[in-house]
Amino acid sequence: MKKEITKYYPLIPVFTAYLFLFLVGKNISGMWQLVAMLLFYCAMGQAFNIFLGMTGYVDFGYVAFMGVGTYGMALAITNLAHIEGLGIGIIIIGFILALLMSTLLSMAVGAVALRLRGAYFAIATIGVNEGFRFLIEGARIWNGSEGLIFTAQLNQILGREAASSLMTYWADIMVLFIAALAAFVTLFYMRSKIGYALTALREDEDAAKVMGINVTKYKITAFITSACFAGLVGATSWALKTPYVFPPEVFEIHYTIEAIIIVLLGGAGTLLGPVVGGLIYGISKYYLSIFMPGFQLLIFAPIIIIIIVLFPEGVVGMLKSRTKGSVLARFII
Amino acid sequence: MKQSAIRTLVVFSALFCFFVAGFSLAEAKSAGKIVIGHPACLSGKYAKAGEQAIGGIKACIDWVNNVYGGIKVAGKKIPLKYKYYDCESKKEAVTSLIGRLVTVDKVNVVFSAYSSGLTLRGAPVTESHQMLYMDHGGANNKIFRQGFRYIVQTIGPATSYHQGTLNMIHKIDPKAKKVALAYEDSEFAKMVMHGAEKYAKKLGFNVVFERTYPKGVTDLTPLLSALKASKPDFILGGGHFEDGQLFNRQLADLDIDTKALSLIAAATLPAFYKALTSMAEGVMGPSHWEYGVKYSAGEAKKVGLNWIGPNQDEFVALFKKALGKNIIPDYHAAEAGAQVLAYVLAVEKANSLDSDKVRAALGDLEFMSFYGGWDVDDTGLQVGHSMVDVQWQGGKRVIVWPEEAQTGKPCYPMPTFAEKAKGKIAVP
Repeated sequence: MKKEITKYYPLIPVFTAYLFLFLVGKNISGMWQLVAMLLFYCAMGQAFNIFLGMTGYVDFGYVAFMGVGTYGMALAITNLAHIEGLGIGIIIIGFILALLMSTLLSMAVGAVALRLRGAYFAIATIGVNEGFRFLIEGARIWNGSEGLIFTAQLNQILGREAASSLMTYWADIMVLFIAALAAFVTLFYMRSKIGYALTALREDEDAAKVMGINVTKYKITAFITSACFAGLVGATSWALKTPYVFPPEVFEIHYTIEAIIIVLLGGAGTLLGPVVGGLIYGISKYYLSIFMPGFQLLIFAPIIIIIIVLFPEGVVGMLKSRTKGSVLARFII
Repeated sequence: MKQSAIRTLVVFSALFCFFVAGFSLAEAKSAGKIVIGHPACLSGKYAKAGEQAIGGIKACIDWVNNVYGGIKVAGKKIPLKYKYYDCESKKEAVTSLIGRLVTVDKVNVVFSAYSSGLTLRGAPVTESHQMLYMDHGGANNKIFRQGFRYIVQTIGPATSYHQGTLNMIHKIDPKAKKVALAYEDSEFAKMVMHGAEKYAKKLGFNVVFERTYPKGVTDLTPLLSALKASKPDFILGGGHFEDGQLFNRQLADLDIDTKALSLIAAATLPAFYKALTSMAEGVMGPSHWEYGVKYSAGEAKKVGLNWIGPNQDEFVALFKKALGKNIIPDYHAAEAGAQVLAYVLAVEKANSLDSDKVRAALGDLEFMSFYGGWDVDDTGLQVGHSMVDVQWQGGKRVIVWPEEAQTGKPCYPMPTFAEKAKGKIAVP
């Protein structure tokens, strides 16, 4: 029984960090929107880490899953707003649609791209977000390049006050829950057969195959899980918090790059890494943009390089090796 | 182990201190000043427009503080202050910075970041704080159909971009009835052309051709061949610089001559003429503002509007001083600067800094500045500002419409491509 509980100890620092962020945002005036941004980066990193961290595969089309998740929520709101009595049920339908769409896209992409490895996989996924954007714009589906703007529908569904608090507060709380859930799932995978199989394939895919591990099955599991969380992050951060969707903004490769940086800064394949990476990334960018507006990227780039050079396995990777054999090792993985 | 645990603790404590100290370093409300807050786009994809906006805002604040003497509220003249951060043209940063501007810096008004998307992103945050939110970069009309109560627009709505062009042709050539619309498949161009189509029909024009082309298009020949068959009197088109240039070049290649050609976004740029030389002669484009417009206190008096602000040359000088660069401001600077002037007048009219009162005053406000007219409807949508139409004449940009802003008469019909190839320039 005790062993059962101790295996969840690594969640303590993760949940403590999220609780700390929540309390800071809630109690210090003016902090909430900053906390919301940090939660977004942590959630995005945590979701991406399930695939990148656990398999070692770099998916450059990751933002496409966030994009379709955003569309899932947006379509539910814009198409169902006129149905009376659905109320908050529309948002639940939106989440289901976001999950469904990101799952379907990840299955389609995974079926093709996961047959490839290393650089070939990365190259194959680069086109996913751009391809999907052009599909929406070119085929003029979901209002094509004009996108969808739906604040008015949210006001209609929930009432002005409730819609306002959804956009400025509750959407961020949902991101917090998604981040926490992603952490829980990551740990569950790490501590189960899936995690061992993924570790084996990350270290040597051919050897894992020879050992009888069905690497395709586990890769797809991690890929779909990661995509589902990305879809949920998109549905909340980019649809409920920002009630509009313009294709170029939700299929921007920039967000994939940010997710990679966050995971590498914190430590790929670690549980706490995306939280630490998200915090370092978000806080540095925020304060640099305040104290040195216009020059923050010039300063930020060397900071990232220094961190990566000093801690090639990420900050948490370094902590892990330093605390090996100590009592802290139970908490930092 | 102990040492590394201590080190870890130190690192996290430092991070925590940095996190919270950043807040304690925040300024208390600038006593005795009215503060404009702005999540500016100093870097990222809108950096160029962002730099211009900052220059325009600084220039007009300089004028308000040093020439106008500050804003008169409750019998006192109060200076303006400008607080801006760099949002990197990113939506996540826009909300977090607006949160800071409103709650930590305690600004009195927030100016939106550039683009419709970023403007929309910030709106729920300013609404939740009941803070006045002024939009100088989001042209999408739909922003104003979402029920936001504190948003007011200075930039003209996308649907009005071609109204001036259509008015001009309607006036100088009542026989021209056939218009062709060919434009990029993008949110902005579609909004512009939907407005143009509606307005053209209202004026009695027949839309004989309407088709979009994808972003990044490299060949418009099939589309232009179909357009040629519809025999339009004039064409409205474009989307961005690259496709606008291609559009013009391939019209020349196919010898498609019309009486007028107006291209959004591309035709007003100096690079357009540089790339096309004589092929660009006579081509027009709408712009929110161009250096050379003739708006003045005299013009304002003629149309019965109040005048405020520097004249055009004063604005240009203040803009150069603000940025420390010898560059001519473009419309991004002018609209952001005009927004400062609108805020000044509204505060004085409301005799208060309260967002509700200033918002109500903005609703009743009508004035003219170097940027042109300013008036908003109940939703906050800009309805008083007319676009200017620029035409390339002899390698120079001439403002040909509206009449109160024009620096020259329009050349209509423009020379044919064959004439232009022989060196004929567009002269009225």
